[in-house]
Amino acid sequence: MVTGPALRAHVREAGLAYLLLAPSLVFLAAFTYWPIIRSVWFSFHDVMLGSDKIFFLGLENYQRLWTDALFWKSLANTAFYTLVTIPSAIACALLLAVALDSKLRGMTFYRSAFFYPVMIPSVAAGMVWVFLYAPGYGPINHALALFGLPKLEWLYDSNTAMIAIIIMSIWKYSGYFMLILLAALQMIPSDLHEAARLDGVSAWNRLIHITIPLISPTLYFVIIIGLLHSYQIFDYVYVMTQGGPADATNVLTFYIYQNGFQYQDIGYASTLANVLLLFVGGLITLVALVFGRRVHYLGR
Amino acid sequence: MATLQDPLELSAPATSRGTLAHMRATLRRNWLHVLLLPLLALWASPLVWIVVTSLKTRVEVFDPNAGFLPAIAQWSNYPAAMAVAPFGTYLVNSVLVTGGILICELVTITLAAYAFARLSFPGKNILFTLFLLQIMFPIYATFLTNFVTVRELGILNSLPALIVPFVASGYGTFMLRQAFRQVPTELADAARLDGCGHLGILWHVYLPLVKPTLVAFSIIAVVTHWNDYMWPLLVTNSESVRTLPIGLGLLAKSDSGADWTRLMAATVVVVSPLLLFFVIFQRRFVDSFMHAGLK
Amino acid sequence: MSVNSTFSHISRRGVLVGGAAAAVAGLSGGRAFASDKVKLQFMYPVGVSGDINRLVTAMISQFNAAHEKIEVEAIYAGSYDNTEQKVITALGVGDPPATWLPINSALQTFLGLDALADITAKAKADDIYQDFLPGFLETCISDGKLYGLPFQPSTPVLYLNKDALKAAGITKAPVTWTELLDVAKALTIRENGELKRWGLTIGGGWHDWIFECYCRQNALVPWTKDKVLFDKPEAVDALEFWVKMVQAGVMPPASTWEGSANDFMAGRTAMLYHSTGSLTNLRKSSPFEVDVAFMPKNKTFGACQGGGPIMIARKQTDAQIEASWTFARWMTSTQVQSQWSRDTGYLAVRKSAWETPEMKAYLEKVPQARVALEQAAYAGAFLQVPGYHKVREYLKSALDRTLAGSVKPDVALKEAADNSNREIQRLLRRRS
Repeated sequence: MVTGPALRAHVREAGLAYLLLAPSLVFLAAFTYWPIIRSVWFSFHDVMLGSDKIFFLGLENYQRLWTDALFWKSLANTAFYTLVTIPSAIACALLLAVALDSKLRGMTFYRSAFFYPVMIPSVAAGMVWVFLYAPGYGPINHALALFGLPKLEWLYDSNTAMIAIIIMSIWKYSGYFMLILLAALQMIPSDLHEAARLDGVSAWNRLIHITIPLISPTLYFVIIIGLLHSYQIFDYVYVMTQGGPADATNVLTFYIYQNGFQYQDIGYASTLANVLLLFVGGLITLVALVFGRRVHYLGR
Repeated sequence: MATLQDPLELSAPATSRGTLAHMRATLRRNWLHVLLLPLLALWASPLVWIVVTSLKTRVEVFDPNAGFLPAIAQWSNYPAAMAVAPFGTYLVNSVLVTGGILICELVTITLAAYAFARLSFPGKNILFTLFLLQIMFPIYATFLTNFVTVRELGILNSLPALIVPFVASGYGTFMLRQAFRQVPTELADAARLDGCGHLGILWHVYLPLVKPTLVAFSIIAVVTHWNDYMWPLLVTNSESVRTLPIGLGLLAKSDSGADWTRLMAATVVVVSPLLLFFVIFQRRFVDSFMHAGLK
Repeated sequence: MSVNSTFSHISRRGVLVGGAAAAVAGLSGGRAFASDKVKLQFMYPVGVSGDINRLVTAMISQFNAAHEKIEVEAIYAGSYDNTEQKVITALGVGDPPATWLPINSALQTFLGLDALADITAKAKADDIYQDFLPGFLETCISDGKLYGLPFQPSTPVLYLNKDALKAAGITKAPVTWTELLDVAKALTIRENGELKRWGLTIGGGWHDWIFECYCRQNALVPWTKDKVLFDKPEAVDALEFWVKMVQAGVMPPASTWEGSANDFMAGRTAMLYHSTGSLTNLRKSSPFEVDVAFMPKNKTFGACQGGGPIMIARKQTDAQIEASWTFARWMTSTQVQSQWSRDTGYLAVRKSAWETPEMKAYLEKVPQARVALEQAAYAGAFLQVPGYHKVREYLKSALDRTLAGSVKPDVALKEAADNSNREIQRLLRRRS
């Protein structure tokens, strides 16, 4: 039971909290919540980009989505992309971060070399990889041939096009996750490691039993962000394949873009966006339930 | 680019002082290099290709008989690439927009993350979910409504239009909240006993301790918004308010095949400031590493 | 979208974000007032990478200098798609640019939005109908009315690696589909079962555009203004020919637009279907001599137009429309077109532009440019149906899946036609 002074302290704390959240909430309201509210409204209507005629459709857009084979295909493509890319990129990033978490010589160089892909504008990166994947003369096929492996058609083949985009994404995003994990590693008090080392704990055990638990809040963050980001994959599909061949690389965000901006079908694009939001929201809740409880915070 | 290509830094011998510990350290270091170098070669090869291509003639790019390196380095590709658009103005705008976003974001996320990490108040979980909505909702689905909003605000075709949608960051708030929760509570309690208020604790205790996260967030925010393309293209018309990626688009987005040599030259120019920024800022990691050891 | 109807909501919210607006308003430059000049915006895409921005800017300042009552502001708007999106978004808030340059297929889209000024009368009073090449002008005509002036037309053509042809002992470009297949077979190189060079590649990403050319070579225009005819036997026959080439192992089942141009320059393919707009790039970047030929015929020669016209917004004052017309007219005048064509590789739209001494000298030097011009005599508009973007996707998907061998040509085309026609009907119902 909360009484007088304690209650006042609670109220004051809550008041301060809302005050601190206010600047963010004002801008989120204007540029995130308002578009989402509009999007929900659009989804019940036939709305055309550029036209001022609007027709009420009720649930028709949602029914259409249910029978839209391309929607399901793009959903499956997105899920496949996410399930392969995120674990690989995060595992890669974690190993890199652990290896590069030191004050040794050349670390700036290494870190830059692994991080720079994040900086390359996607339009340029996409073009470069179109060349790297070129079937006959592309360096990747040359490398495969060196190891006696068969040459692939990569972006020209609906069976390999998505894998090509995944490989590129791992190249592009490992450095990104590495940077965040590196920041977390830097915040681990160094004496912990030192003590464990003196006690004869092996490097592998130190990684599993000290490092990973200590950075678990960040790892949790990286997993969630990774999931969210991979659902937003758009740029490379746009630059490299435009969703083809035979829709093999059509992912949800690209499909939303196509419907909204190319087909001017704002109503349906909004429907897709809303469903994606629900879907991702559910997924995040799942991740929060599975991983969230295992996260170990040093603070309260 | 020079720092990246400088092999000296890599091969510089570690200063060995003869003690056993140092020898072991040297060994360990080299073992790491052996592991990392092939990976590095893999990662860096696209960049090498970008730089090499930016110095080739158009014919050399795809000629199977031409060597990997250009016969004569075509430095003129750089001025030629810069001539397609007022890149100077674009650069200034990119700096202003990215800098503006970063500063606004740092303020909003610090305040919000502190509230989520350290204060208790009704509706905390719901509000936090609301913050995450920003990252969950596909950005292309917001463009239309935000275009109308920006127009209503009367800031269409101006630099603020490129900034306002990104002032709040659910992403940054989440990231920083995780870092704040890692700070041992005793430190804050000690400060409170010394008479510090919430803002004092935030400023004197929390922010210095999460510096690596702030640096990481800054780098990511800058890199992300430096490369924004679709939104700026939609809301700007005049050369005077446009940013670098639009200049790059001039060389890449076409139905006639890319202008490879100049596109790659422009890419190098666009990426260089970022790389410089990164090299300078990631050194801050090491500094804050020492601070964090104060516990 | 109906933005107007929601303004009241937005204004209320405007109060909410008003603080933010006030804080940043200082940064946003106000518009210049107090001038009796008619101000026009012109949104244009970059179809050919490189110096277009600079060329257009130079043209605009030349125009502005010559017209003291008009001031045009040129706005680079990305690719054709981006340009269309930017214009349509601006239309949605009732604030379109005065003039813009979309791809010609967007004609029905803009007509559906009631966005275009009818310039038939102005054109008739001028020499437009006499001097413009008819194939180009046709791309701007709907129901006998003219809605734009062609500015930078292109068509697909067949690019040939002349060195490869010479090495294979082939002296002339293929003229019929049968010859095309034979030549492609002769040019394909395999070593120990591994492919070294394709005989032919059809540029992916726009292969639906090239497919329409094949339909036209079978004497079929595969659309009318309210439906598509992909399921006609002529179209099925064309696709069956593509399948035949893939099965003969002389052509890859898929490619990308960028990738296929690279493949040609790198010698990975000996022949390539690509846009005339790529001529300058391919000619200057290939380490071998590039030849250009008509797309081979079957029943007839046939091609269709890419590229775009300058369109004029309907919802503006008469003075603005007049000024827009003056601008569009100037951009398509003889001298300007002659220069633009030589600078970019696009085809000049006026007969008189091809007769200028500069153009004649250019054709001496680059005889390949003439091929595209001559082929243009057989060219019509490309897929001018409502919702052409979506129709293109249906068709491309059908082509891809057929060439990958997962479905039969007639089944795939029937499905694409049905889906497309359903979408077109939906849009037409919506419009009425």
